[in-house]
Amino acid sequence: MLELHRLSKTYPNGTAALSNFSLEVRAGEAVAIVGGSGCGKSTLLRLIAGLENATSGIRRVDGDEITEPHPKIGLVFQEPRLLPWLSIEENVAFGLEGLDITEKHQRVYAALRSVGLDHQGKKWPREMSGGMAQRVALARALVVQPSVLLLDEPFSALDALTRSRLQDHLVRLWEETRMTLVLVTHDIEEALVVANRVIVLKPHPGRIDDMQEVSLTRPRNRDDSSFEAAKRELRNKLDQSLVVPKRAFAG
Amino acid sequence: MSAVKSEIALPRDDEGGHSELQANDYPWLKSSSLGVILPLALAIGWELVVYLGWAEGRLLPPPSRILATLWGLTAGGELALHIGATLWRVAMGFLIGAVAGIAIGAAVGYQPLLRRLLDPSVQALRAIPSLAWVPLFILWLGIFETSKVALIAVGVFFPVYLGVSAAVMTLDRKIVEVGKIFRLSGYRLVCRIFIPATLPSVILALRTGLGLGWMFVVAAELMGASQGLGYLLVDGQQMGRPDQILAAIIVFAVIGKLTDGLIVTLSAPFLRWQDNFAGGH
Repeated sequence: MLELHRLSKTYPNGTAALSNFSLEVRAGEAVAIVGGSGCGKSTLLRLIAGLENATSGIRRVDGDEITEPHPKIGLVFQEPRLLPWLSIEENVAFGLEGLDITEKHQRVYAALRSVGLDHQGKKWPREMSGGMAQRVALARALVVQPSVLLLDEPFSALDALTRSRLQDHLVRLWEETRMTLVLVTHDIEEALVVANRVIVLKPHPGRIDDMQEVSLTRPRNRDDSSFEAAKRELRNKLDQSLVVPKRAFAG
Repeated sequence: MSAVKSEIALPRDDEGGHSELQANDYPWLKSSSLGVILPLALAIGWELVVYLGWAEGRLLPPPSRILATLWGLTAGGELALHIGATLWRVAMGFLIGAVAGIAIGAAVGYQPLLRRLLDPSVQALRAIPSLAWVPLFILWLGIFETSKVALIAVGVFFPVYLGVSAAVMTLDRKIVEVGKIFRLSGYRLVCRIFIPATLPSVILALRTGLGLGWMFVVAAELMGASQGLGYLLVDGQQMGRPDQILAAIIVFAVIGKLTDGLIVTLSAPFLRWQDNFAGGH
């Protein structure tokens, strides 16, 4: 379980990225966080990942306070960030330490198999397409078996076809493992395909504006009328969150 | 974690590489011996010009005379002695300069506090033409080996320092974060992220440093030596023997190239991951 209580982040230059953000994510839940640019989505994820310090507030995973990167939390960045000097299997094994070679090999190839790349282990990152590289990055996060997996717009740089395939793939992985997912995205459809609950953020400073429970049955069909309705509802909420109050123009 | 059979089949882009129609049509164009053509043509041409009596070849001796001088120096064992003396000086100077350059460069690149403290002074010292140190080094360290090694070390230090500090300083934050997310810090972060990520730049800095080392050994040996390839240059000038000067220059070129090749060969296994433009060839 992930608990965030009155989390705030102000950067040294005075920019308030996040203000009084509170959220509880139950174990096994898939939550998507959507919002326009500047609403603190990425900051929020970096705070949960322990890559940045909060100005105030509390972050906990399964009761442990998060002050630095935590072994129970995995993160998939927006770009694959594969280490170019390591082969694909070595990249996936990067976070595994203290295991004997056989066990390490088994874990690495199980993770690569789960993203459909177990035949590519000996290759170099430069030989991977964008979608393949991002799947390797997913395997690298999965191999340490985190209880919470954070995804920072993981498929945003991919073409539409690859993106929707990887979204479906992520959902299947989540159904298999039932780990807690926190997905940051600006893609409404992606949020609705993956999440049980969508949080809408409001910018300047980032804070929760609205929320939408997604009770669509799985597997979710993007062409379904109920999916379309949920999409419309979420788009309205997102549009509302981006409305700038009139008085903001006054001064 | 249980396995999920993937149905995703993405196109493999491992069939890249640069097409080079020209080279495919004429395979000999690909040969690395292509670079020999120009110097060889010039050498043969000059040899013929002198042979036919069109020129005297006194100030620029023909290749045959230079080779004869080289052979004479080699057969007498003299050349090996000179090469040995020069190589030893370059090796010691390079070792000291490179170790200091890597250590201080890495520290300055990694630690902003050290950067603010040390970098301005190092940059100021770098602005001094290194040969300006010669009189001081002779006064401090004497005319013999120590001052020569010190001068070479100074020559090697600056390019290595500059290359290493810049490589560490400009290391992509995103790559470092990959290490951090897997809870690497301190020594382990340095070994698993910083060293491999900066290695190509460090190797390049070492190669530049070695080049400078060879340049400075000549200066060091010109300032007074009884042995070494630089001594052969001075001796050739004083004795009016351009063939000996040219023979020494050729040996410098060959050994300089060989030692540079040694760094490239030794580092190649660690850099085979690089995705270079030239790598496709």
